Amino acid sequence: MNKKEVFKLAKGFRGRAKNCIRIARERVEKALQYSYRDRRNKKRDMRSLWIQRINAGTRQHGVNYGNFMHGLMKENIQLNRKVLSEISMHEPYSFKALVDVSHSAFPGNKAAAAPKKEGLAVLL
Amino acid sequence: MANRRCFQTLARCLRSIRTLTPISECLAPYTAPALSQTLPNYIFLNKFKVYQVPARSFCSRHSESEDDDYESGEEEDYGENEEDIADLSAEEKVKEATEIGYTVLGPLQKSDRVFKLYEPVFAVVQIGSHQFKVSNGDTIYTERLKHCDINDKLVLNKVLMLGSQAQTIIGRPVLPEAAVHAVVEEHALDAKVIIFKKKRRKNYRRTKGHRQELTKLRITDIQGIEKPENTMPLPPQTKEKEKAEKKVAMEA
Repeated sequence: MNKKEVFKLAKGFRGRAKNCIRIARERVEKALQYSYRDRRNKKRDMRSLWIQRINAGTRQHGVNYGNFMHGLMKENIQLNRKVLSEISMHEPYSFKALVDVSHSAFPGNKAAAAPKKEGLAVLL
Repeated sequence: MANRRCFQTLARCLRSIRTLTPISECLAPYTAPALSQTLPNYIFLNKFKVYQVPARSFCSRHSESEDDDYESGEEEDYGENEEDIADLSAEEKVKEATEIGYTVLGPLQKSDRVFKLYEPVFAVVQIGSHQFKVSNGDTIYTERLKHCDINDKLVLNKVLMLGSQAQTIIGRPVLPEAAVHAVVEEHALDAKVIIFKKKRRKNYRRTKGHRQELTKLRITDIQGIEKPENTMPLPPQTKEKEKAEKKVAMEA
């Protein structure tokens, strides 16, 4: 890459890395290496985020993520985690339907109960 | 998936204004004949030539005794490539398309009124290996769909789930009687990503640019679920009542 392209990619860098070619070139090369690596990491991170969101959504209904996914697999429902997380965020009633379907297919090893919220009244 | 595919659905408030101007009328006059006919042919011819020339030159350089063996070997491999790249017959195209999950209905006519107002119904549709949660009026970016042009109507048949205000229908895995109609808005290239590889202290550095080929689809209609008939935006109280009456329909 020639200097013009390097400086274009070095916009927003800290200190001399955006102005001086020797330093900018090093930093830009490092940045491009990171972006190569992170394009692969992004897929992993997104999947992890979706799983966290699905977990949160199902636990509101008293089911944990593992049992939920097992129930869906048993019922041959092939929705992927991306779409399940979107449904859990934006379509709460449809997500409840999915949780019910999964729970009826696989109730889980322990007796699943909805989480009880104990207020301060218990202490009184 | 790079920048273009991260672009989510348009704001609901803007959609009703924008979708009323039919996109086909803006695009049809100058894009359809110019782009759709020249571009795919160009790609096909280019690829065809790339595979054709080395095979022939390779065969011609060898001695005569080895020619027969090499020619037969080359032709066998070469024949498979030819089928992949050259024009498939119409049946094979339809078969490939249905495997990926869509059917081409035909070009959009000016008289078709496919762009409707937003309806509070969603569908989960699968194209290739990617799933999308779509609603009426959404745009989605998918991998380049080969057998359709701009302003073509498509039917996406792999529908995994339907939902509305009163019903949720979950397929196992697919709903056979559901269909999602879409229109191809453009065949575009993604933003350029620079692939840069470096091994430090070993004098190895490689730079390459890549633009992924995408297709932009606009979802026009979702069929297979009862839609609420109220066209007015509902006040919050009525919405809660309707959701309280919700039933879950499960199809085996």
